[in-house]
Amino acid sequence: MNSTLLEEKFEGLRRRFEGAHVAHVYYGDPCERFSLKLIETLCENGADIIELGIPFSDPIADGPIFQAACERALKNGVTPARCLEAARKLRDSYAETPIIITTYFNVPYIMGFHKFMDYVRAAGAQGVLIPDLPVEEAEPYLNLAAKKQLHIILQVAPTTSERRLRRIANSASGFLYLISLEGVTGTTLKRTDAIKRVVKKVKAKSAIPLVVGFGIMDGKRAEAIVAAGADGVAVGSAYTKIYAERRGNPLDALPEIAGLAHEIKLGCILGLHKRQSTPSTCF
Amino acid sequence: MKRGRYGRYGGMYVGEVLVHALLELEEAFKRIYPTEEFQREFHGLLRDYGGRPTPLYYARNFSKLVGFKVYLKREDLLCGGSHKLNNALGQALLAKKMGKRRLITETAAGQHGLATVMAGNVCGLETEIFMGIKDVQRQASNVKKMVLLGAKVKPVKAGAGVLKDAVSETLREWAACSRTTHYLIGSTVGPHPFPEIVATFQSIIGEELRKQVLEKEGRLPDAIVACGSGGSNALGAFRPFIKEKSVRLYFVEGGGESRGAENSAAAFQLGSPGVLHGGLMMVLQDTWGQIRPSKTRAAGLNYPGRGPEISHLCEVGRVKPCYALDHEVFKAVRMMCRTEGLIPALETAHAVAYVLSNPDEFDPDDVVVINYSGRGDKDVETILRCERELNTP
Repeated sequence: MNSTLLEEKFEGLRRRFEGAHVAHVYYGDPCERFSLKLIETLCENGADIIELGIPFSDPIADGPIFQAACERALKNGVTPARCLEAARKLRDSYAETPIIITTYFNVPYIMGFHKFMDYVRAAGAQGVLIPDLPVEEAEPYLNLAAKKQLHIILQVAPTTSERRLRRIANSASGFLYLISLEGVTGTTLKRTDAIKRVVKKVKAKSAIPLVVGFGIMDGKRAEAIVAAGADGVAVGSAYTKIYAERRGNPLDALPEIAGLAHEIKLGCILGLHKRQSTPSTCF
Repeated sequence: MKRGRYGRYGGMYVGEVLVHALLELEEAFKRIYPTEEFQREFHGLLRDYGGRPTPLYYARNFSKLVGFKVYLKREDLLCGGSHKLNNALGQALLAKKMGKRRLITETAAGQHGLATVMAGNVCGLETEIFMGIKDVQRQASNVKKMVLLGAKVKPVKAGAGVLKDAVSETLREWAACSRTTHYLIGSTVGPHPFPEIVATFQSIIGEELRKQVLEKEGRLPDAIVACGSGGSNALGAFRPFIKEKSVRLYFVEGGGESRGAENSAAAFQLGSPGVLHGGLMMVLQDTWGQIRPSKTRAAGLNYPGRGPEISHLCEVGRVKPCYALDHEVFKAVRMMCRTEGLIPALETAHAVAYVLSNPDEFDPDDVVVINYSGRGDKDVETILRCERELNTP
């Protein structure tokens, strides 16, 4: 069950005419108990896949919201082992929700990539996303992951050349993660027209599900991106921003987070319906 | 050797958004650097603007004190007061030829920031400099110079507000503007191709040094001593000698107050291989791979990573990794002031301190070259304050 959960999830969503809603949480911010509550809230309110982030001291692909999340979590003493333990707990309570472990390369490197992937698998997660591991550096690990029936989720960006796109698409597993903008997480995606073109270009090159992330903070953006052809969207900083602003009691933010999760999911559904009802412009 | 690797170190561990910029830079460097036009312009600027060649000075009084011949390769005399301009001019010129309009970089001691805005102005490029908030306060005089020269200085509050955080912030900024902007990395760190580019531009130091020492001594030196964290001045001096097995190479890192994990920047003593800022290198980190902050009074050595090439050279035994503690460094400043009338930068004083504190490493008939990487005007306040602190029990 472990190994095909992600494929089954995308297949099920396709059958139900829904785009996938991937929710990204840095675990342990500001404390483990809250993170578990947050993930529960997201799962109950429209998140289809959980990206469970292991905090890192120098998250170079993350903007200020996630940087602060990492700092708070690390200050609170969260370790990679605790994060993987949380993934296992989550697997027990949400048997159908695929889990992707997201972290920077030094964390698996120090643990030993082999060992790290064994832990990921034992925790019941489906794969890993390592933002500072481009395809060239990921290549030595792709076979290892495949043997363990785990996905290494690769990323593409608006700056990726056609040639690289082919190389990345050929190595992709699970889904392809398209970074929507030139920048870091939490940056506002101002206009969606440019990314729509990139979505179409990537979809033409690859049959694997395509998830778009970075800068997606509301249902409207999610809808536009799914309507353009993406199979889903990833949302992270937008959730963290809500509870980070309630420093006193982040639990108070959960209803608002639930509301946003609903809105994003609705965008994923409406986007796909819009795409289905728009006559193709090919003829 | 695999592209961008020095033994097991190096690589290109960055987000996909930045890969195109690194590939573009790699291609441009390969194509443009060897051309006669580039070489003429680069060496012309080094000579007429920078003041190269820098002299190789026989430090007679200092030699008498330590009991063997010591030469200083006077990078402190390069315009701007340190070796940093060699690389800044090279990269700014390259960026200009690549059609970039703007330079961004980070700086700790301020020397690299200063060199970057100078080179940016010469090449007609805008400059923006990221600097840890603590370094902005500590290096006020260099901040003023950078601003006067027209750079935008952006204080970085994230993390501990030091160099490591400024590098992360510059990489983030670059992700958003890499089509029009060049990240002018100041040391032999970061993702491929930066370590190679910086070392290539800095190796002018070693090339001159080789000729000069042959002229003066009729033979190669027995030892070259250089300070460093990322390793740019050291590699600049070492590179033409790496194959000369008779020349001993010493790399002196910031030992900080004491050789303990909380008080030091000595990554070769206290670190292990890890990935930071796009490259695999020796780095200070905890058992889970979280990067530890470094600590030393010398802002320019206050970085938790050692560049991939110097990491490799130390691992294979070609370069000896050494360190100097703060109290030895302040003593070295005094000694250099008294014997030769030169105020060394705190970074440079680490190399001086190693020579003073380890006489057993050198024979009486040795010819030793210290890469005298920078002058200490920027550090006068810190030196006087810290000496007071060290002397008050």
